[in-house]
Amino acid sequence: MARRTYQEIIIALEQYWARYGCVILTPYHTEVAAGTMNPATLLRSLGPKPWKTGYLEPVIRPLDGRYGENPMRFQHYFQYQVLLKPSPDDVLDLYLASLRAMGLDTDKHDMRFVEDDWEQPTVGAWGLGWEVWADGMEITQFTYFQQVAGLELDLIPAEITYGLDRLAMVIQDKPTVFDVEWAEGITWRDVFQENERQFSHYNFEDADVEMLMRHFEDYEREARRLIDRRLALPAYDQILKANHAFNLLDARGAISVTERAAYIGRVRNLVRADAQVYLELEEARAAAPV
Amino acid sequence: MPRLLFEIGCEELPAAACMEAALQLPELARQHLGAQTLELYIGPRRLAFPVDLPERTADEWIKGPPENLRDQAAAGFARRHGVSADELTAREGFLGVEVPGRPIAEVLPERLAAVVTGLQFGKSMDWGAGFRFARPVRWLCAKLEEETVEVALEHVPSGGYSYGHRQTYPERVDIPSARIYLETLRSVGVEPDRARRYQAICAGLDALGPWRDPLDKLDEVVYLVESARVQDGTFDERFLRLPERVVVLTMQSHQRYFPLGGNRFAFVANGGDPDVVRAGNEFVLRGRLEDAEFTFERDVEVGIEELANRLASITYLQGAGSFADKTSRLVETVRGLGGDEHAAEAARLAKADQASELVREFPELEGHIGATYATLAGQPDEVATAIDEQYLPDSAGAPIPATRAGRVLAAADKLDHLVTAFGLGHAPTGSRDPYALRRAAIGLNRLAIEGGVRVQRDRLGPAREFVEDRLEGLLDLPVEFVRAARASAVSDLAGIAHLARALHQAEPTEEFASVYEAFDRAHRLAGKRSDAAAVVDESAFEHDTERELYDALRGRTLEPSDFDNALRSAAEISPLVSRFFDDVMVMTDDERVRANRLRLLLDVRDTLGRLGDLSLIPR
Repeated sequence: MARRTYQEIIIALEQYWARYGCVILTPYHTEVAAGTMNPATLLRSLGPKPWKTGYLEPVIRPLDGRYGENPMRFQHYFQYQVLLKPSPDDVLDLYLASLRAMGLDTDKHDMRFVEDDWEQPTVGAWGLGWEVWADGMEITQFTYFQQVAGLELDLIPAEITYGLDRLAMVIQDKPTVFDVEWAEGITWRDVFQENERQFSHYNFEDADVEMLMRHFEDYEREARRLIDRRLALPAYDQILKANHAFNLLDARGAISVTERAAYIGRVRNLVRADAQVYLELEEARAAAPV
Repeated sequence: MPRLLFEIGCEELPAAACMEAALQLPELARQHLGAQTLELYIGPRRLAFPVDLPERTADEWIKGPPENLRDQAAAGFARRHGVSADELTAREGFLGVEVPGRPIAEVLPERLAAVVTGLQFGKSMDWGAGFRFARPVRWLCAKLEEETVEVALEHVPSGGYSYGHRQTYPERVDIPSARIYLETLRSVGVEPDRARRYQAICAGLDALGPWRDPLDKLDEVVYLVESARVQDGTFDERFLRLPERVVVLTMQSHQRYFPLGGNRFAFVANGGDPDVVRAGNEFVLRGRLEDAEFTFERDVEVGIEELANRLASITYLQGAGSFADKTSRLVETVRGLGGDEHAAEAARLAKADQASELVREFPELEGHIGATYATLAGQPDEVATAIDEQYLPDSAGAPIPATRAGRVLAAADKLDHLVTAFGLGHAPTGSRDPYALRRAAIGLNRLAIEGGVRVQRDRLGPAREFVEDRLEGLLDLPVEFVRAARASAVSDLAGIAHLARALHQAEPTEEFASVYEAFDRAHRLAGKRSDAAAVVDESAFEHDTERELYDALRGRTLEPSDFDNALRSAAEISPLVSRFFDDVMVMTDDERVRANRLRLLLDVRDTLGRLGDLSLIPR
């Protein structure tokens, strides 16, 4: 078989999980710092309803940008996110089969599940699992959620977060992410290097700090208002926007160490309050006559 | 006796969970199966053990209500155990029921389930099976000789099979008998025996040449593989220009590689094509070294002076200012502790590496990286070494700094940390000690005692009691001597230790006995009285003995740091005190005379008490 392009790898993975019965979604419509933050994972982890989903997510982490000069670190990169709730007993076998479906020969590589306890204080979530290694390289974060938004979970989901750029490197045997072949004759570099350069400039040097501070306050206020009006889903969008404003401020160096903890606390409080309303609405919906 | 083999099949367990299970399984087997585990087979995907079981469980006698409550309680107890009240037997005043042993196979399903659920892990998880474990349990295999035992644990399949190596033999494999478990698993690519894996890894590493494991990764790696294959790899020699500890840490901390010297490293694989796996690991290490190199070069470009300038923007402890503030305090403290110019210069640059990117990446390199940057900036060896040594001793067995400047800086750092943290109210509570104040206090004591740094006790401020408390555990003496010495006039930390030792050594001598007695009598009679005079009034003396004692005390200052002379001097007082008690009635009715005599005794106590509160020493 000819070596797969990046896009073919993504399509193969998506098809694999579609055939398994996942609801295949698209990336979320506002910036998220991880596939976990997409409401399809974060909010849907809550409550007693089973849920299976898979989606591509471009994650936006302003602080990680390197102006397109470091071939392994980016402020914008791709995760493929799968959430299986509840986690099936054969979930690790399913996962390894998904790697083969992408074109990774799991017999040739040294596949390892290395302890990694995951925690995301901004969204009050933690879980136990592994970082998955192929020949010492981390290609996936695998987590059994134990708590989300500070809440205990009715069903324990398995979250599989594929680091697509690195996986493509391993599958295509390329020395850097830049060299990954996106489509035939087109590399990752062709598609995104300039994007990295410009956004790194923006994130580190040009983003308007005063405006972002104002935005943070506005988004926070709007989120509070919507939570009070019991509109959990629109409120969650406001929280994501507030969080992105915070991440930009952080990259601009506008936030001191102590303020940082306070900002994270503010976002976490919003997520908690919002998740509570989300759950109550879900329960009310479940109880309502059809 | 029938042989049982029990295997708990798991998703990949953390090494720490493997170690916890290894410690608990023998006891759980004893408790629930009534037998000793013959071996333990512990690895990432299975916890297993063979055990020889009795044919039947032991007869039991279940204790019920006391005999004297037979009328009220016997019937109910008997009913609960399915016997009639007449069948109850009495032992030592209690009624009870005889429960005959049962065939072992009958009880195993529940007992084995109890072994599984009895395992306790520091970190455990829920995955929907109704019990917690370090990672999900996916199968249970129990064979009693050739018989398969179904374990009574809901949500976990149980049978007479196991699974092979995840990559090379992922299928089910039948375990035909409890006695051929090892052979069967070895045939499907798994070495269940930790000791064998350990030997194999060591042999593999030895075959590659001299290897090192400064972060003790081998103990972890042995639990990360079921089939160990040791391989080597190389990296670009240009990375050897980086500080060696940066290279070693890059290899060990995350990747768990073993440095082989030069540009070679070893790693332990669990599967895959050796050439592909080697290339992949070399690639990963190159990426990490490139990151470290990039960071290192950026720091060097900035330089240690500029890094030091950036400390004003880094918080040291909330409420205690920045690292720049800490630095000013350090320089001053170093001078106060008698540090020379090198020590003061080292103090000025000691915290500069807190502003470096490399320390942000590898916090465990703090101090060492600062020393490297200081050397690159042309600082003399004395300064760089002191910066390097400032965090010593960093554990119980660790050495103290080798250089004088290093010892003074290390003491100043700990002293400042303790005083600052205590000043902010961060005293450790119970086992919680987030600012590592115990370690700092023990380190400070060791620097004073072993390192000869003179730390005045009044410098310790709010941390004084905490720091001195640590001496009680640190010194190999009965604690009473340390407590007695703490109550002395000794002014510095090491002095307490020396005095405590001297007191302990002197304790069997007659001299000590006489001083002890004098102190003790004076202390017991006068120590708690509130009616003593403020000062001795010579005109209130009625006896020569009073004057004699008064004269002997006057101008006598015992110097605890010169213990032998002080003890001799103290011993001169003792006979006068005895005579005083023989000749003089202290508690006389004349208020003025009594008050004066009490004062005289308090002066005795205070004079001798410069050698410590001797009353704390048990005799």
